[in-house]
Amino acid sequence: MDNLAKHLLQRLMRRIPASMLQSTLDKWGRLTAEKRKSLDFTQSKLTITQELVALCEESELTVKHITELEMIYVTENPNQGMWHTFQLLDPEDDAHSVELMQFKEQFKSHLSELKRNVSVKIKKHTDEAVWIRVAWGDGLSRPNHLKATYVVHYLQTPYVFVNALSSKNKPLLLQALTLSTKHQQIKAANLSGQKLTALRDLLMRQYQQVFPTKYPSPLPESDQSISKLRIEKVQAEASANRHRMAGETFGDGMLPALQSAFFQLETKFKDPTNEAMTQRDEPFICSVKFSSSNLLESLRHCASSGIASTPVTPLLSSIPLKGRNYFVITDNVPNA
Amino acid sequence: MNICRKAPRSQNITEKVKPEHLALLVKTEWQLSYVTPLYQFRHTQLKTYARQLSAFIAAEKQQGLAVEVGGLQNTFKVSFSVLQGLAETNDDPETVLIQVQSKPMFARQEDPPKTVWSGWLSCINGNPEYLQSLPKDFTCLPLFCSKGAEGLSSLVKSWLQRTFDCCFGPLDINQTTLQWLAALWTNCHMETNIQKLKMIWTLPVVPPLQVTYTVDSDDALELWRSTRESSAEKSRGAEDEVCIDFSEVTRFMQGLMSHFYRHFRVDLSAGELNQVSSALGSAKLNGKIKISSSRYLISIFSLLTECALLKMPI
Repeated sequence: MDNLAKHLLQRLMRRIPASMLQSTLDKWGRLTAEKRKSLDFTQSKLTITQELVALCEESELTVKHITELEMIYVTENPNQGMWHTFQLLDPEDDAHSVELMQFKEQFKSHLSELKRNVSVKIKKHTDEAVWIRVAWGDGLSRPNHLKATYVVHYLQTPYVFVNALSSKNKPLLLQALTLSTKHQQIKAANLSGQKLTALRDLLMRQYQQVFPTKYPSPLPESDQSISKLRIEKVQAEASANRHRMAGETFGDGMLPALQSAFFQLETKFKDPTNEAMTQRDEPFICSVKFSSSNLLESLRHCASSGIASTPVTPLLSSIPLKGRNYFVITDNVPNA
Repeated sequence: MNICRKAPRSQNITEKVKPEHLALLVKTEWQLSYVTPLYQFRHTQLKTYARQLSAFIAAEKQQGLAVEVGGLQNTFKVSFSVLQGLAETNDDPETVLIQVQSKPMFARQEDPPKTVWSGWLSCINGNPEYLQSLPKDFTCLPLFCSKGAEGLSSLVKSWLQRTFDCCFGPLDINQTTLQWLAALWTNCHMETNIQKLKMIWTLPVVPPLQVTYTVDSDDALELWRSTRESSAEKSRGAEDEVCIDFSEVTRFMQGLMSHFYRHFRVDLSAGELNQVSSALGSAKLNGKIKISSSRYLISIFSLLTECALLKMPI
């Protein structure tokens, strides 16, 4: 086992939490059951790592095998780092019939034409996602396995999620993706975050959507109630309406755990009580960032509690409807 | 609290205060507390106090009180010094700086000791009526700023309490003060580039929502100026006489919140302003302050001295 493989394994072991070691090694399957049983997982991580390195050396494992292990770990624990979303546009006629083998071949071939010394691994995950790991080298150096880029794409959808891609390699990767999926263009989809599952669920609408209905409850009977009951009834109706609209805008039940949304505002200042500012021609430059452990649930709660007026403004409803969390708002394009 | 205050002026205080002292105070985040007047505190006894506090810390450590500063065998050295020049009026006592330095027991001679905790007591532009009303033996240094391990903060406060018969309490920076700072810092943009005005709110939803609203400094200043011009009571005297009324601060904040509401239809006043920052510094609701420029140190700490004095029991 060469030094690079050892170093890679040691680095990887530092990343994998102790609680996940055993299951990840089991899934990897490159060590015999006997060898795996010989590892004592109650020891310190440092000790386990040393023993594991020894076992891998015995089995004559190489960098290729270690990168497999890394890919298994990342695939099972994708909510790390920063994922950026891209959208494929202008599909060619046969784009919808691209299947896995064809995509794999085409992607590898296009990418190696664009750049020499890249190492590509492609695997299909159980949920139909195609995972790609790219280690980048160039004409002079071997692929750098310590800083691999990960790409996730669901065939037959226009979305691609990318993690750890340098600006240098970005055009190459995007071109290879566009060509191998038989599209003409690819653009940034303005949706980023740490949790891949949240981004994916938001775009693929894999959560409980509520469809607007004209008659949300049975038509009310005519009511002879006295004034106080009337007020309570109106309040209750108002509250019910808010809840309904909040649900229609953001969804019901558990929502994808998007964690932030960013708005760059370049619109004019309009306030009837402030003539001086309202008369200005120049935009009022500011930015707003919303953050939460689950942004969509927070916003839904804002709407249902009345902190956000309903109907919800298009700026906020665009987040779930358009599946994006980065916006530049100018006066010309209010719903950019 | 004053509803009217003078706009902070950029002051070059490097004439009054030693640059090395200023360097200790700026660009650092301090935790604020208030402290009641100290009984029989003498600025001439600082060396004695340093010895006594050292001994106190050592004794508490002996009793097994954990002081989370790396290494088990640390020796602590305490120093008390005067930060001359921060006191503004004749009634302000001079600011006192306390530093705790630590050196692992088995360190080499040439290894410099590290400052692991610092704190300072001050009174800047304190209300003269209040200061003059205090009995003779009391020294009023109501603002206590500390930085470092919480364990050491407790020990220092504990020693000060028992030695000078005083009381400490947390000095939270409330909504009003944060709004003052937002307006005052924006006002400073006329003299010094504040780069951006950043405000952080939290909204009481589940899970809690944080809103970071950052305004370009030139635009913030224009908004600020427009709220001042519309103020009926604005004194149009010389720049030095310019007095800022809290109603102007409120109008400024309302302007910012209405621009926000126009876009998001979310009422920020339903939440709580947690933090205000600019290139000049940052202030947080939980009583943490950072001043990035010595030019406005006096102004900001005068405001904080006022907040501390409001907490005095009498």
